[in-house]
Amino acid sequence: MEVREINIAIPRYRRKWQSFMEINGITEFSSNEVDKIEKTFMWDEDGDRAATGSIAGNVIKYVAVCSKYKEGGALFNKVVSYLLQQAAQMGRFHLFIFTKPKYVQSFEYVGFKKLAVSENGAILETGVPGITEYIEKLPHFEGKNGSIVMNANPFTLGHRRLVEVASSKNDHVYVFVVKNDVSLFTYEERIELVKKGVQDLKNVTVVSGDDYIISPATFPAYFLKSDQEIGTYQARLDAILFKDQIADPLDITTRYLGKEPYSKTTDSYNHELLDILPPEVNVEIIDRKTADDKIISATKVRQAILDNDQALLHEFLPETTMEFVKNNYPDLKKKLIEKGSK
Amino acid sequence: MGIKETALAGTLESSDIQITLSEGSGINIDLDSSVEALYGDQIKKVITDTLNKYGITDAKVKAVDKGALDCVVKARTMAVAQRALGTTEEPNWEVL
Repeated sequence: MEVREINIAIPRYRRKWQSFMEINGITEFSSNEVDKIEKTFMWDEDGDRAATGSIAGNVIKYVAVCSKYKEGGALFNKVVSYLLQQAAQMGRFHLFIFTKPKYVQSFEYVGFKKLAVSENGAILETGVPGITEYIEKLPHFEGKNGSIVMNANPFTLGHRRLVEVASSKNDHVYVFVVKNDVSLFTYEERIELVKKGVQDLKNVTVVSGDDYIISPATFPAYFLKSDQEIGTYQARLDAILFKDQIADPLDITTRYLGKEPYSKTTDSYNHELLDILPPEVNVEIIDRKTADDKIISATKVRQAILDNDQALLHEFLPETTMEFVKNNYPDLKKKLIEKGSK
Repeated sequence: MGIKETALAGTLESSDIQITLSEGSGINIDLDSSVEALYGDQIKKVITDTLNKYGITDAKVKAVDKGALDCVVKARTMAVAQRALGTTEEPNWEVL
């Protein structure tokens, strides 16, 4: 058995790799799944393809073992070991795998820990620091704990209102800021503005969602068959993970959501949360704050930055965010124009 | 003494053990082994003793065992310790 790294950017290798995967039941190769791959390895036995696996950031992807070698799982263990070693050499010791529920046991056997399993997908992790270390690091509170998850791109008066409501109804509130950086405002900027925007509320703690509050953008779904499954699969896994791994150890009893009148994606996401979180975690949907009958949303704020609509920015943003936007205006606008409005 | 950087050694193949060493206080071993009930204490003892020989007293250890013999556990612990200490070029002969 020999292993070598192959470059799937080269069409010849890409075809070999993809056809092997297709034989083994993986048929989804959209560019947003494949483009993130950094390294791909292929195992050969006497010129025959036997197994493959890839690394994309802190995610192990596209693992396939030819059914001829599946018995006993020895080759599977070899493949996973090798991928973990390669990742370690890249300085990555904390890795995730997204897979079908029927493979959960195989990954558990090689030291992965199950984070969430739904009907059609599962997330597992291995290495350090893992979920246990993440929860240990967070402050723990007695009493009635509420929670809010936000991207806050950027923090608006609408977010502020949501935090205020939660703050008034609970002894303590955790605000989880999504860490994934696919937004106009960087993660550091976003969490800083949230912290500044709520610093007067003494029972509110702003923390990083780390790798555990997952933005759908990073959720691999290549092993699913239809697009339709993908949307709910991501939301359901995210909800289960939140409920079992975060809300449970932190004694969080309520999660507050902003009502979503515009985005269908967010609306269906909220729907899944309602389906999964109760009764252990109550879900409260709060009406959006309006300013002059206009519903405050971060999307509109980003548009206003692009249009230089000062009046709207003043209406929608707290002082703290406003100051940041003023000080960084040319940069933000430049980023918006480059990216298209995100 | 604690360690400088996270490191990994060993594989998940049969008769081997994969060990990850990262920052921690005290030696804290998270062992995953199908023979844990029988040999768990022995495996932990070999890991702890070997780390102590390197002067490592503070580290978080994650070990996934696939039925490794003591000599393998020791060899993998040495490898991971030297990687974590950044001393792979200067083997510590006294531990051997």
